[in-house]
Amino acid sequence: MNKYNPPRMNPSSLRSRFATRFLRSLSKINAKKPTASSSSPTEIFRRYRRIKVAADKSMAYSVRSRRTWSRAMLWKLRTRPCCRRSVKTSTIVRKTRHEKQNKNTTTTTGEDGVVFGVEADELRELVPGGEAMDLYNLLDETAHYIKCLTTQVQVMKKIADFYSP
Amino acid sequence: MESNAGTKETRSNLTASDGGEVTAFESLQFTDEIHRLILAPTTDNSSSFTALLELPPPQAVELLHSPDSPKLIAASPPNVEDFQGSFRFPSNSGLIERDARFSLFSGEANNSNEKRNSPESKNVSANPEKNVKSEPAETESSQPLVSDPTVEKRSIKRKDRENKVKGSTKKSKTVANENSEDAEKLPYVHVRARRGQATDSHSLAERARREKINARMKLLQELVPGCNKISGTALVLDEIINHVQSLQRQVEFLSMRLAAVNPRIDFNLDSVFTSESGSLMDSNFPSLVMPAIWPEVQGNGHRQQYQHQWHLDTLQQPVWGREEVCNNYITPENSLLTYDSSANSATLQANHLKMEL
Repeated sequence: MNKYNPPRMNPSSLRSRFATRFLRSLSKINAKKPTASSSSPTEIFRRYRRIKVAADKSMAYSVRSRRTWSRAMLWKLRTRPCCRRSVKTSTIVRKTRHEKQNKNTTTTTGEDGVVFGVEADELRELVPGGEAMDLYNLLDETAHYIKCLTTQVQVMKKIADFYSP
Repeated sequence: MESNAGTKETRSNLTASDGGEVTAFESLQFTDEIHRLILAPTTDNSSSFTALLELPPPQAVELLHSPDSPKLIAASPPNVEDFQGSFRFPSNSGLIERDARFSLFSGEANNSNEKRNSPESKNVSANPEKNVKSEPAETESSQPLVSDPTVEKRSIKRKDRENKVKGSTKKSKTVANENSEDAEKLPYVHVRARRGQATDSHSLAERARREKINARMKLLQELVPGCNKISGTALVLDEIINHVQSLQRQVEFLSMRLAAVNPRIDFNLDSVFTSESGSLMDSNFPSLVMPAIWPEVQGNGHRQQYQHQWHLDTLQQPVWGREEVCNNYITPENSLLTYDSSANSATLQANHLKMEL
């Protein structure tokens, strides 16, 4: 890891911004649960959801409102019905739709060229705020979203590795 | 432009059957023409020149070189015999064959002229070496001055071909103009459109859009690992979807991991907290702790320092813990701390934030 030191990382880079925000919110979450009952499964799940939301939020905040997906994510997080929005159910819905659409793709992927409706729709569901985008913007947002997700995963992995060696 | 003018000129020359001027002009335009001859396909428009003159090819050639031809024909027989004895032609058996035929014919036809023109042919045969030696290396720019039959015939044939090419380039130039006009509008056409359909504004905009989308796809392909080998947009898009999904699941998994791991950290932090609470709760908390801690909190901004800390030995762990404690301690319970520390930390954190943003 020392080899990362010489090129001093830009403090305003997306990675460091996300890292600071996420660590701050993580420490807040940790501070709010100092009780001994925090090892129960429900508590862990609640913490998991809070951490997940914190990760999303800090990611979206570090991108600010420059991107459509971050705006949409912030809006979603802000307007979610009093923290009861379960991430689990949304993933389940996504999965079932994915399975459903897989059957369709096998029939329609034969069409070569730029016209790919089903895959684009699938991607629209994955990228936040992608429902109302045309294909070009969708691909653009996807590219940025993938970059940000990769950064998020790297930072979170580092933190998790630190916490549990 | 120049070549266009040139072709026009040669055409007029041809119609006037003024061979001399043509040859003069040819010698000027020769290299140009050869280049074009190399570039342009000679096969498809083979009949264009003769079609232009509406004559069979040999006649057209004779017409073209009418001033030269008697002299040439007269001069040919002895020379050809001479040369065929002593020299071999560098290439092209077809040329040799035709040469032989032509010389035979001219020998039959102009036997009577042979004697009369012998001085000239002698003159030519006095320096055959030079002429023929220059022939293989001849780079098409040097028109033979003397009517050496072999060279002349070659040049006749060349001219003939050239003129054909000229006609063909004339013809193909218009086609090429259309093509290039088309090409700059339409870089590539995947789907055949009907005439005029591919150039209207709607399909052009559609094409530009598709191009943009393809560029994006290429970028995404670079971004997603293992996506470069896949061809076919649908498959690439599937791969991208899978990648995004896997990343989202990874985030979920990591947050789950953090959630599962954190109680231990909490406990750890609590223990650190209780052990150091005495000193922390002092009124001189900011003066004691903040100087020691703040550089590391600054390190949050620079992640490599952070990583550095994380991967250091266990000696650093208490420091990290203390920092955590500090954060935990300050953020929820600013009011409990002394006024100095809270104000200090708030301003410092604000500064920190500003610096990061």
